[in-house]
Amino acid sequence: MHRFTWIRPILAVVVAGFFFLPLYIAIVNVFKPSSEVIASPLALPLQPTLDNIIGVATRPDGLFWSGLANSIQLTGVSMVITTLLAAMCAHYLVRSEKAWGRVLLGIMLLGLMIPPAVIMVPITRILREIGLMATVPGAILVNVGYYLPFAVFVFMGFVRSIPRDLEEAAWVDGAGKFRTFWQIVFPLLRPASASVLIFLGVWIWNDFLTPLLVLGPGAGNTVTVGIYRSIGTYLRDYGAVFAFMFLATIPVLIFYLLFQKHFVRGLTGGATKG
Amino acid sequence: MFKKTIAAVGAGVAAVALLAGCTAGAGSEGTDASGDVTLTFLTFETPNLDAAYWDETIERTNAIVPGVKIERLVAPNNDRDAYARQLDSTGELPDIMVAVNPTGLAEAGKLAEFSEDELENWIDPTSNSFDGTIYQLPTNTQTIPNMYYSKAAFEKAGVAEVPQTWDELLAASEKVKAAGITPIVVNGGGADTWANIYALDGLIGTEVYAKNPDFLAQLASGDTDFSDPDFVTAVTKFKELIDKGYVSPTTLSKTYAEGQEAFLAGDGAMYPMGSWFSVAPDEAAQEDLGVFAWPSDDGSLIMPTYTGGGLSVSSSAPDVDKAKEWALAWSQVQENNAGGVLNDGLFVALKDFTVPEGTTKLYDESLALYNDAVENGTVVTVFGNEGGIPSLPSGFNAEVNAAITDLVNGQTDVDGFIDQLNQKYTELTQ
Amino acid sequence: MARRRAGEEWTVSISSTTRVAPTRERDEHRATPRSNGVIRRGLRRWQEAGTFAVFVLPSLAVFTAIVFVPIVWTLAIGFTDERATRPETSFIGFDNFVFLLTNPSFLQALGNTLLITAIVVIFTNALGLAIALMLHKSGWLYNLLRSVFFTPVILSAVIVSVIWRSILVDDGLLNTTLRSIGVTDPPGWLSDPAIAIYSLSSIMVWQMLGFAVVVYLAGLAGIPTELEEAASIDGAGPLARFRAITWPLLAPSLTITTVMLMISSFKVYDQVAVLTNGGPGSGSTATIAFEVIQTAFVEQRTGMASAMAGIMLIIVAAANLIVLRVLQRREVTH
Repeated sequence: MHRFTWIRPILAVVVAGFFFLPLYIAIVNVFKPSSEVIASPLALPLQPTLDNIIGVATRPDGLFWSGLANSIQLTGVSMVITTLLAAMCAHYLVRSEKAWGRVLLGIMLLGLMIPPAVIMVPITRILREIGLMATVPGAILVNVGYYLPFAVFVFMGFVRSIPRDLEEAAWVDGAGKFRTFWQIVFPLLRPASASVLIFLGVWIWNDFLTPLLVLGPGAGNTVTVGIYRSIGTYLRDYGAVFAFMFLATIPVLIFYLLFQKHFVRGLTGGATKG
Repeated sequence: MFKKTIAAVGAGVAAVALLAGCTAGAGSEGTDASGDVTLTFLTFETPNLDAAYWDETIERTNAIVPGVKIERLVAPNNDRDAYARQLDSTGELPDIMVAVNPTGLAEAGKLAEFSEDELENWIDPTSNSFDGTIYQLPTNTQTIPNMYYSKAAFEKAGVAEVPQTWDELLAASEKVKAAGITPIVVNGGGADTWANIYALDGLIGTEVYAKNPDFLAQLASGDTDFSDPDFVTAVTKFKELIDKGYVSPTTLSKTYAEGQEAFLAGDGAMYPMGSWFSVAPDEAAQEDLGVFAWPSDDGSLIMPTYTGGGLSVSSSAPDVDKAKEWALAWSQVQENNAGGVLNDGLFVALKDFTVPEGTTKLYDESLALYNDAVENGTVVTVFGNEGGIPSLPSGFNAEVNAAITDLVNGQTDVDGFIDQLNQKYTELTQ
Repeated sequence: MARRRAGEEWTVSISSTTRVAPTRERDEHRATPRSNGVIRRGLRRWQEAGTFAVFVLPSLAVFTAIVFVPIVWTLAIGFTDERATRPETSFIGFDNFVFLLTNPSFLQALGNTLLITAIVVIFTNALGLAIALMLHKSGWLYNLLRSVFFTPVILSAVIVSVIWRSILVDDGLLNTTLRSIGVTDPPGWLSDPAIAIYSLSSIMVWQMLGFAVVVYLAGLAGIPTELEEAASIDGAGPLARFRAITWPLLAPSLTITTVMLMISSFKVYDQVAVLTNGGPGSGSTATIAFEVIQTAFVEQRTGMASAMAGIMLIIVAAANLIVLRVLQRREVTH
């Protein structure tokens, strides 16, 4: 058995290599002139050029930068609010042990399973009623509402795996429930928070429809909307498109790398601790 | 570690949020401090009609119509009709729109009316109108399709004369095919299924509209359906092109852009396409290309033509009169239209307009062909492009495109094609 | 004990929708005497209401306004003939639903959606598990490879679709390669109506594979090595060990990946829009989400689109319920 230990790394590298091929194509072509992209998509960029990236970053309409600022703002605020609200809600539902808590979660999860496009028209009518249509707070509200069920789902699983004694003790000591939650419980939810943040970050960052319809046409678009626009139907400049995609992905990638250590454990409800 | 990460990310988000606060969420309604009215203007961008082109047209118009601030919007993809309707369903219909099909929006009272008096300068003010009520300025004329062809391919195949009749088209295609070249290029792959209709558009022009200009009106009133013998003939002839291998599934899978690129690179002999194609080839390619009208049975000149495609104004714009004034002005600025000619191959349907210098050879030839049809031939409407009354219901074109792909791929036959169209038409109009 | 514990925690974390937390623990904590007297009880009720207001009410309010009300609203519109282009709307009962359930193109979209979901769930799980087993080792190489597999998960569906389109189109990279090794007539991966839906599903499997890998790796990390070693000493081969120990203990991982994959693949839209626009031809890759959006925004028949959404909601809810039940029963048995 031990004689064959070299098989595993080689197999792993080969499989991963095949898997990585489409990403490789996307990445190398960022650094090639468009003509080469079409002629020889697989070739390494022998004379790498930053023209595509510079071209996207210096577009006269500033599509990338305004999109980036909007995306960071929208994604950042939405995911932080969602995470905080969901953590509190999940904690209450688990600890109060009320039967309606589970029914509530069931209903909430249903909301996650329909495409947001389907309910977008009533959503925009409601936003208009409350005066938040075509505003960033309106778009944030939609993100929070739509992704909250997923976050509650993950947090509920995790809260159950945390012993109750700690918070009971703090409670008896006279700390209010609110303070107990923030000082004792929330820090313990760290892995769950990490996975919720990562998934929300990725989903909201990549969401096309909500910003397009809720932010409205005049409010400035996100990077993902920018990608759609640069693809267009008259797509010829593959180098520029790949460069736009590359730049638009970097922030999410960094974000994932920062949180990845915690994130797996959060998803699995602490099962990997022991 | 985790806390630090959170803190760092949080601080970054907060900083950017502050910076971005001023760029996002700008209101689009009403007047600002200076008393200017802010209007949104939905445009679309292509490599030719780029941001600079649109901004210049806006600047020129603002010089004529003071007191207006234009906020330019860009459709996120080519389907600006669907985008405008999405915006409408969320209550965000732009104040001014370019080249958005008014069907549906007009009937629902979403668009402002123009009077014929206001359109004094227009050649055909009631083209594609709603029984005379005008919701979209018919500023541009396009002929759809023209048959663009490669002289080199014809020469190589031994086609000496440009085909004038249907039989000559079949004969020429046979020779081209024998020379190993795709005779008639029909594309419509990926997301661009809309692009596969132009050959059939040519046939519907010669077989249906030329013989019965009221076909669409009869269809709308229920007096006929797609099993109308003329329409069946058009589809049967299209099927003949497929069966003989003149229209091939191979080229069908290319997107619009890929297909155009391939045709310009010499892949294919004939390319049925709208007159906008005339400005796409570069100077060298222009020399090698020519244009003729889609051949009819007896060789008479029949030209499917669409006049419309201009600006429309939302009836809920903050200042409808001002928006109309601006739209009318935008449409009549010589340089704006000259840009449309040079960049988009438009024929400008205004009385007071001079074709600018520097048009391409193919543009001149296409325009000459159109003028010839107006004087000596028959001008018909373009199936699927009609706006106003009568026109096809919104969303019907997608079904036609799907059915065409099935026909080319051998997934359906003429009867199946006709049945499918009849069913969808009933579904959408009932 | 160790084995029981890993399984239990998983169960609790994932099946929180349907199962009550272990009762023994709960009763112990209840026993703490805290209240006596009417005043204190009243005070507690106030506190309780206050806690609810702070902890749950904000979430509940946002969810209700943004998701719950719109869903109910949408369902209600499904019983009307509403069209965006027509001012008057009337109630038409179940007409839309009757029409849809006998309409071949809607049924085709329904079938396509179920097929895509089945392919994505089965293959992503199978490949994800295989790769997780392969990467279940420590060392920088395996950490790096784990990130490689996860990267597509964080990309937007649009990006993934554009990349894959450049590979799969008729004269794309794949067919060029196939031709160069002597395949004369390679298939039209995206242009053949019989194949396109499988290409589309495969792209989704590729994108979500990393998610399954990561979840299975976490599950594998939760299995105590002593168990495997003990079985090994007992003479069990690798396959027998996998069947007896690893696979049963991975049941919770299977539940979470399956539910998440179902959620994503039931509502697939972006990939269809970019890669095939529902084609080639009539609806060969159209999904319900695609049909809903087409009907609502292009055809502007909001009543019909809402009825589609209603049917979709019922099917998705039923499928998820069944899957959750079956998978969780497995977790319990082991």
